[in-house]
Order: sequence, then C-alpha cells, then structure tokens
Amino acid sequence: MKKFLIAIACLCAAPAAAQDFSEGSEAKSWNLYAEVPATFEAKVVDITCEITGDCADNCGDGKRQIGLLRAADGVLIFPNKNAQTGFQGAGTDLLPFCGQDVQVDGLMLVDEDIGLNNIYQLQKIRAVGSEDWVKANTWSKQWAKRHPEAKGKGPWFRRDPRVNAIIAETGYLGQGLSHQEAWDITQ
Amino acid sequence: MRLITSALAALTLASPGFAAEGERIQITGEIIDTWCYYSGVMGGPDAVTGSAHHTCALWCSAGGIPVGLLGDDGEVYMVLKIEDSDENASGDTQLSLASHEITADGMLYKRDGLNYLVVEKVVTDAGITKLNHEDYGVVPPFAIPNPNK
Repeated sequence: MKKFLIAIACLCAAPAAAQDFSEGSEAKSWNLYAEVPATFEAKVVDITCEITGDCADNCGDGKRQIGLLRAADGVLIFPNKNAQTGFQGAGTDLLPFCGQDVQVDGLMLVDEDIGLNNIYQLQKIRAVGSEDWVKANTWSKQWAKRHPEAKGKGPWFRRDPRVNAIIAETGYLGQGLSHQEAWDITQ
Repeated sequence: MRLITSALAALTLASPGFAAEGERIQITGEIIDTWCYYSGVMGGPDAVTGSAHHTCALWCSAGGIPVGLLGDDGEVYMVLKIEDSDENASGDTQLSLASHEITADGMLYKRDGLNYLVVEKVVTDAGITKLNHEDYGVVPPFAIPNPNK
C-alpha cells in the first residue's frame, strides 16, 4: 500500500518537475537570453477552448490563438512566434493541424526568475507519423492573400491597412504627433 | 487494488484536459505584445512597452502575436477575450488597445505557469500613459521611417 501511495504522490508532483525536451531538437538559435531548444509531440488545440471551455470550430479558423497540448505531460504550451523574422505569430502555421497530433521543433523560453514558462517559438511542424517537416513561415504569404489591395514594396507591416490607419490617426508614438515631429523627438 | 489503479489512471489521464477554474479579478495595466516582452529580442522590459514601442506593438498585434495585459503587479496576463471579441489573434479590438493602459474586469485562469484573462469589461481606457519615448526613443529604431528620405 505504501508503494502505491508513493506512486500517487509522485504522479501528483510530476507536472512541477522540469523535463528536458532538447534531445533531438534541430532548432536554430535566435540568440535569445532564455531560449532552450525543444522538440516534442503534442495535440494542436484552441487555447481559449482549452482554458475556458468556450470552443470554436477549426480552432477559431485563424482568429484565435492556437496551443500545443504536450503529449508527454499534458502541459499547455503557448506558441507566441513563428520562424519568420519580424512580427508574426504562429497561428497561421498551426491552423492546418488543428485537432491533430503533431511533432514540433523550436525554442522554449524559460526564465524561472520572472516566471517565464511554456512560451514557444515554433520553427517547424509535422503530423505524427509523417517524415516531412513543414517550416513555420507561412504568415506573410497568407497576409498577402488577405490584403491584395496592399500589394507593394517593403515588408507587410509597413503596408498593413489597419496598422497604417491607426498610425495616420494617432502617430507612430500614439501621441498625435506628425510623422516629422515623432521622428525629430526620437532622434 | 482496482480502486488504486483507477485512481492512478484518473490522475494521469484526466487532469490535463480539463478547462481551468477561473476567478473574478479587476486589474489595471498595459496591453503589450508578449513576444517582445518575454523574448528580450528588442531590449529589457521597460523598453518594449509604452509609447517607445507603440508602433511595434501594433505590428505584433496585427501579426497575430499574442497580446497580454502587463498588470501593475508585474504579472503578464495572456488575453483570451475582450468584451464581445474572442478574436485574440490579430483581432480589431485588441489592435485598437495596443499600448493602452486599461482597467479590466473579468475572469482569471491559471494553467501551467501562465495567467489567462477573459476581459468581460474594459472599465477604463486611459490611452497610452507610459511616455517612455523620452527615455528610449523608438524601439525598434526603424519603427519610424525617416520622413526626409
């Protein structure tokens, strides 16, 4: 009986114990102070659904953040960033795998001092059983499809209609300054 | 024995899938982009908030990077909903609040070391109150293109 009680106690404590998911990772370093390479299997889930029970079809169909329910320990991982440089999240790359069991590779951000846990930069993904990795770099092309009117030179974030409308109204610093005034005050 | 085996199975299989239990909370803080804040890719926490980082916060929010509420208590709350908008990936409502100081009333959930917030009501919206461009300029420096070129 004592052994079984000890086993139960260990299981209860398991989520708190740090596990190493770096073995086998091929993730490229981004030279982030808190990065740790991590590859693991997980189920792709709608985070709002997972947390609150309010679920949407197809993980929110691109309008909700998508999470990774790690198979090894049931921990909910929050992918914040995809593999592109710039300002893109990982939702577009995860959406085609909604509800599926996948393997991912990327960088986990870990800093116990500030309570940083389970924030992830996704670099590549594949369905469990598949040999073929898919790079997590689809956001910009998807944005271009949604905004044909914003076609032009330069990165998407300079041409995004919603962002540019806000900047036109309140300026780059959000203070109502003109472009020239905002430039001058920050040089 | 069977009872203990069932208990073990319940502990190992059932616990991760349940929705977390929430508690009501009212919290004041700034709507931030969480990647820049957590990763340190553009500098320390003070530099990646406020007016200095406003344009970048817009880009990140529009780009689907999760937004959070950086509370006055120093905690980050990952925002799942804001009033009637559940579009927490590049949604219009969260975009319109980038860098704003708000007081939010809603439900707090905790899971695996992260705070999650469902904002049922934006009680106050004070706009951008942290004017740190006076200290940091603009972060990143290329956020404001040179108007004279």
